[in-house]
Parts: sequence; C-alpha cells; structure tokens
Amino acid sequence: MNAPVKPDAFRVGAGLLPVSPPPIIRFEQIGKAYPGRGAQGAVTALTGIDLDVPKGVIVGVIGRSGAGKSTLIRLVNGLERATEGRLLIDGEDVTGLTEAGWRSRRRATGMIFQHFNLLSSRTVFDNVALPLEIAGTPKAEIGEKVTRLLDLVGLTDKRGRYPAELSGGQKQRVGIARALATDPKVLLCDEATSALDPETTKAILDLLKQVNRDLGITILLITHEMPVIKEICDRVAVIEDGRIVEEGDVFSVLTRPKHPTTARFVEAVTGVEVPAYLAGRIHEQARPGDDTVLRITFTGENATAPVISRLSSTIGVDVNILAGRIDAIAGKPFGSLLVSVPTREPELAAILGALNSLELKAEVIGHVS
Amino acid sequence: MFPEIISPQILALIVQATLDTLQMVAIAASLGTLFGLPLGVFLATSKRGELFAAPVTNAVLGTLVNATRSTPFIILVVAIIPFTRLIAGTSIGTQAAIVPLTVASTPFIARLIEGAIREVDQGLVEAARAMGATPVQIVRKVLVPEALPAIALGLTLAVVSLIGFSAMVGAVGGGGLGDLGIRYGYQRFMPEVMAAVVAVLIVLVQAVQSIGDRLARRLNKRLRHA
Repeated sequence: MNAPVKPDAFRVGAGLLPVSPPPIIRFEQIGKAYPGRGAQGAVTALTGIDLDVPKGVIVGVIGRSGAGKSTLIRLVNGLERATEGRLLIDGEDVTGLTEAGWRSRRRATGMIFQHFNLLSSRTVFDNVALPLEIAGTPKAEIGEKVTRLLDLVGLTDKRGRYPAELSGGQKQRVGIARALATDPKVLLCDEATSALDPETTKAILDLLKQVNRDLGITILLITHEMPVIKEICDRVAVIEDGRIVEEGDVFSVLTRPKHPTTARFVEAVTGVEVPAYLAGRIHEQARPGDDTVLRITFTGENATAPVISRLSSTIGVDVNILAGRIDAIAGKPFGSLLVSVPTREPELAAILGALNSLELKAEVIGHVS
Repeated sequence: MFPEIISPQILALIVQATLDTLQMVAIAASLGTLFGLPLGVFLATSKRGELFAAPVTNAVLGTLVNATRSTPFIILVVAIIPFTRLIAGTSIGTQAAIVPLTVASTPFIARLIEGAIREVDQGLVEAARAMGATPVQIVRKVLVPEALPAIALGLTLAVVSLIGFSAMVGAVGGGGLGDLGIRYGYQRFMPEVMAAVVAVLIVLVQAVQSIGDRLARRLNKRLRHA
C-alpha cells in the first residue's frame, strides 16, 4: 500500500524535469542469437531490445517462459553476451568486455535465483561469505559484514545452519544477503519468488522493496507473474518472442495495456471474472425485463469515488454488484466491478453517460433475464 | 579357533600378506587420487563451452582414460613392465606392484571424480560466476566441496576395486592376500589358507565400505532433516 514515491521525472511522459539522470543500465538495440549446431539453425533469443533501467528504480520484465527474459537479465552481468547492439552500464559501454573484464564488474552486480543456488556444503554464514572470499576480502571484515547482512535479512539465528535445514523463504533471504555482500549497485532477480508460496513471496518482495528503498539499490527483475510486477515494480517491460512489446510505468501499463500479451497478464491481477453461476445465463440480445451486466473499470482517483451510491441516488436505479476487485497498483487504486442494472431506457443511457463523465471505463458484457 | 587348523607360520604369512595388501592399496589409492583428482576435474570442465574449455585435449585424455580402463588389469600389469622398472627400479615385488595399481586406478578415479563433479548443479556454477569467481575459484570453492560426498563414495568404490586388483599382482611377484591365496590355498591345496584369505578380504572390504559410507554421510549436508 505504501509504495515508495519515486521521482516522477524518471517516468516516461511525466516531464517534470527536462533531463532525467542517465540510466544505470541501458540496452540499445540489443540482439542475441545462439549459433546453430548441426542440423539446427541459429536461434534468436532477443531482437532489437531498447530498455532503460533508471537508477534507484525497480524495473520488472515479464514474459512467458522462453520469451527471452532469462537471456536479457544475464546480459547485465555478462553471463550472456549480446550479439548485436550496445549495452551501457553506468554510462560505460560494456558490449565488448572480455570475461576477465566482466569478472571485476560482476562484484558491482548482485544476483538472486529462482532455485536460490546456495552451496549445500556451506553454512548460511559461509554462503554469504562466499562472494567476499572470492573478492579477497580480509577475514575479519568478512565476519563483520556477514553478521550485518544476516541481521538485515533476519537470519542471525540461522548462521550455523545448512541450506537443507531452511525453508524456501529463508533460503532466498540467504540468497539476498549473499547478493548484497559486495555492495552492488544493481540487484538482478531471476524469478526470485517463483518457487515460493504466496505468503513467502510477499515477505521476500517486501525485503526487496526495503533493499531498494534503504540501500538505494536498483533492481532489475524478471518474472512470469504479474502480481510480482504489481507488488514492487515502478516500471515494467513486457517481453514476447525476444522483443519488448510494451514498456512503461506500472500503473499505466496495468491500467491501460496496449498489447494483447500485456492484457492477458494484466487480467490475472486486475480482471474480474464473470461468476460461474452467471456466465451460462448471459446472452447478447436484450429481452424485455432483462438486466444489463456492466463491467466498470476504475483507475486512479475515481477508484475511491462513491460511484455506485451516486448512480442509485441521481438516476434512481438499483445497482446490483455481482463481483468486484479494487486493488492498488504502484500505490494508486485500481480495479473493476461487475454490476447489473435494469435494462431500461433512458436510465441505461444515463448510467453509461454518468460513468463516462467520471472517466470510468464502462462496458456492456451482456444481458441476463 | 585358528591355531588348531592354521600353524603359526601360516598365520604370520597371512598377517604379512594383509599388511602388503594394505600397503599396496593405500599407496596406489593415494597416488591414484593425487593424479585422478586433477584429471577428473579437467575432464569434467573442459568440454566445449565449459570453464576450462579445451575440447581437443579433453577428447585426447578421454580416449586415453578409456583405453587404460578397457585393458584387463592383468594385461596392463605385464604391458607396462618397462615403465614399472623405470619408476620402481624393479618389476618384481610389492613395491613394484604399486606402479601398475596406480596406473590402473588413476583413470578409474578420474572418471569417478568427473562424474561426481558433473552432478553438481550448474546453477551453483552460474551463481559463482555472477559473483566474479575465476574458473579456479569455482573449482576450489564450489565444484570440489559440493562434489565431496560423491567423491568420497567414488573413492570408496575405487579402494574396494583396488583390493581386488591387488590380488592379481602376485603374477609379477607382488605379495599380498591374493598372491597368498593362489600359492598356498590353490597350488599347495591348503583350503584353510584360501578360506582365511577370503575371510580377511571380506572384512577389509566391509571395513572400507562402512568407513566410506560414514564419511560420505558426514560430508553430505544435503540430507539433514529440515
């Protein structure tokens, strides 16, 4: 509910400041093709990717499996290399870096994974210490730092345990502590909550939000779950068949999806299904005595307006609420209601007129007798 | 119970043969691990696109390993006599027998270690790469420690096999339990010696296996009750 307020200047179209700060990650016409082997031809994973990840912002990339999102996120720490285009990190062109060049850069980028990827042979403490050992940090400093990180993720009492003794949520907390060990500027989240139950997902997302807010770490995450985007992202890019088909701030993309793929993802979090008992009885042509079923979509300010009672009092019709969901996206209310009203003119026209004047989207779903 | 059937002289022979077997197996297993570990790690990490990608060297070493492993041990012992003489100064005796035992166990252990390392979740390698680990760091801090339980079981298997192999080195004058069993138990018709030899071998193998199992279990942190 209390999503951090991000400077609107970072948002496309806000236009409060003429110049936005340079993005921390910039994809410019990035393409990635895997060379063909034997009888198989080359496989194109990404095509013409243009994407900016502004500093301090949480950006989500959503797509179905195989859409290219894993490849995309792995370009940022050089686990995959682009075959076309330019990749800029903190203003620096990293497109042509060698493996050794990437190695030193990777310390500035943390990464967490769907299956956590913790070493089963190391305790919680030693797992978090691993990136520091790799970086050659002195032992005393490692001890101090790991203790602080375990405190941050709330696992101080588990420091001597092995991953096999932890729950999924605890494992991901270890993953987050490990990813933060080298003080990265960017945190990459590869389906970080996809293996977790909804409640644990919520807790992990809250932790990521906290990391973003308190440590100022930019987060780029990939997911196939719209609730994750809705919960913590400021901006979202929708990827399909290796292309970004839609991109923008979360509220506009979720409330006014343009691409059919986006619309399908959005439906999962904001859509209201026609209840089963009603679905079979809805018909297109109105018959005398029917009720009309309307879907009213609320966005922004009007989501809090007392629309239904206003309709009843000003037009004098009975509005029957069939189903509904009002939610918050990026801290703004959003949702939809399914209602039925008597199919009677001129009241019906008046209702639609009143809804439109409130800038609510109202559509007729059908009629029930 | 033995003194009535087995004379003190024979008993001394059995004790000596057991010590010889233990010595041959221990040294050959140690040397085999010393050479087999790096070889196994290399085999597991040098195919195309892997950490130490060297597909040609990988293929050559792989073939060499297969060739050694497909040669029956008794033939290998005879075939490498010149090499044995070069290393041990002689081709006869318990010490000399360590050479063919090592030559046979190295590729065997290498394959076992390769298998154990290939079983390590690639996600861990990716995570380590994402931390900026060098290939050597990935081997030392991720692959080998994570493969350790499987390596322990593999080495147990290797030692048990070596105990079996060591019985054949009697053919080139190596001592040990196998040699004793053949010469006294079989050629001199002393079934009680053969029975004693087999009994000692069974005890040895059982001991090795249970030590190995226990070690692997202790190293394995994956199966702890959550």
